[in-house]
Amino acid sequence: MDRAGRPTVPRVPIGASPVIGDSNPGKDRVAFASAATTGFSRSQGEVTPASLAVDACIAAMKDAGVGAGDVNGLVGANPQYIQSALGIAHLTYWNGPGIPFVSAIANAMNAVYTGAADVVLAYHSLYRNPMFSRSAANDPFRAMDFGFAGSGMSAQGGGDGFGPDTIAGAVGYTAWASRYLYEYNASRETFGYIAINDRSNAARNPAAALRDPITMDDYLDARMIRSPLCLLDMDVPVDGADAFIVTTAERARDMALPPVLIHACTQGMIAQNEEDQTPSLRNHGQHVVVESLKKKSDIWIDDIDVYFPYDGFSFITVSWIENSGWCGLGDARAFIEDNWDTATGRMMIDGRVPVNPHGGALSEGGTQGSGHTREAIHQLQGRAADRQVPGASKALITAGGFFFNAQGCVLRRDD
Amino acid sequence: MIDDAELLARYRGVRLDHTNKEFYRGLLERELRLSRCADCGWWHHRPKPICPRCWSKAIVATPVSGRGTVHLVMFLYQGPPADGVDYDAGPHPVVTVELPEQEGLRFTSTIVDSNNDDIAIGKAVELTWIERDGRPFPVFRLARLQ
Repeated sequence: MDRAGRPTVPRVPIGASPVIGDSNPGKDRVAFASAATTGFSRSQGEVTPASLAVDACIAAMKDAGVGAGDVNGLVGANPQYIQSALGIAHLTYWNGPGIPFVSAIANAMNAVYTGAADVVLAYHSLYRNPMFSRSAANDPFRAMDFGFAGSGMSAQGGGDGFGPDTIAGAVGYTAWASRYLYEYNASRETFGYIAINDRSNAARNPAAALRDPITMDDYLDARMIRSPLCLLDMDVPVDGADAFIVTTAERARDMALPPVLIHACTQGMIAQNEEDQTPSLRNHGQHVVVESLKKKSDIWIDDIDVYFPYDGFSFITVSWIENSGWCGLGDARAFIEDNWDTATGRMMIDGRVPVNPHGGALSEGGTQGSGHTREAIHQLQGRAADRQVPGASKALITAGGFFFNAQGCVLRRDD
Repeated sequence: MIDDAELLARYRGVRLDHTNKEFYRGLLERELRLSRCADCGWWHHRPKPICPRCWSKAIVATPVSGRGTVHLVMFLYQGPPADGVDYDAGPHPVVTVELPEQEGLRFTSTIVDSNNDDIAIGKAVELTWIERDGRPFPVFRLARLQ
């Protein structure tokens, strides 16, 4: 105890710290193939952080003898903009790490070692801040831009001068939902089933925010927010948190609960990742995720016991169901109806695989995927209480949307 | 020609930079200019410092015809406040329009002088201009010939 009576942390010599281990399985496994620079000066002219970044990226690629088609990982600020600018067709990994740059090195090394990406382009640009540079302060086009490696339009109401008249940001899903209804001659009931399924499942989850069952009439009568999507198509804002311990499989086996192994994990993004420039319902980030997971994973949809498609908007779930191959494009409604358990008001694929059994983002709460991940782990640990899928050993999570956050993960019990 | 000082003054609070400034300068001059590569002819939007296809830096803000076809549509029953937008008067339409200059090249804005019931994917539209926040703002209207 210190003099104020508070407990003090025991001093452990750093060399003896049990949390600083010597594990380094990636040793000598990852290398730099090139390094390039734009050079540095106090007068680069009419540049932006992004224009400098792409100049350096092109030089590094040319030095290494690789093209945009060889790169599938990006590490640096605003990777979605840099991908789009460089026309890098497909990414399976990206991250915008903190500074200094060793964060980026560690990030790229981890990505390559794990196979998350084969060729990572890592970059970092510096831009004189008008706060600290007289010459920068004399360039008025720098004033709004410091620290933002992108250019152009931003999310709805986000300071690009377009106010509500954009589909950038979350509203983009509403706009593409209109395209889905148009191209497949579908109706809003398709989305309604997703909302009903989540709510029926949430009834068995004491952690869920919304647990009162809803009907299709409730869905169709719900307040319209952004047509064609209504209040019940959109995830529910909540307070709360999820947390996870991640370690090696070996160490996890010595801990208190059964390990859940990360069998495969990927991200997915395409070059035209701006919401209104995305090529089509058949060509966006989800398709990269599906192709990447199918290549990395020994486990696919026929093998799993429980399925977690993201549902920040109901339409995203419909898209994941179709794009993952559970049914044909535009066939989600028929597929859901064929696999609907009328007694419980929810999907049971082939009579045995529930979909977001915790209630998902639409009913448990808008957890941005952490709820889906937690429930998948609980199911595979046999700790899902009333929601437990008997003998669940394999789970698929397909998270995120179309543009800059599609992701997928296969989890398995440690059998 | 709108000079830099006027451009910055009239877009105070908007994130202008060296890459997007010609797009915004075009708006003040009532011309919708999108990024086009002077070397390979490829259009792109939103503005970027290089051509995503050939990596040329010769990007020129180039006027588009303003004709197009509604590709995506939504109606906002609520949304961020904006000059001239009254959600209580009825849902506010937002359309993404496919432009004829290049497959997949699109521009998003609102649509004016139309009943919402007439606005649908596939409809032909043309560019027009309104005033918003004291600046010209590019919008669409339904074309007379559908």
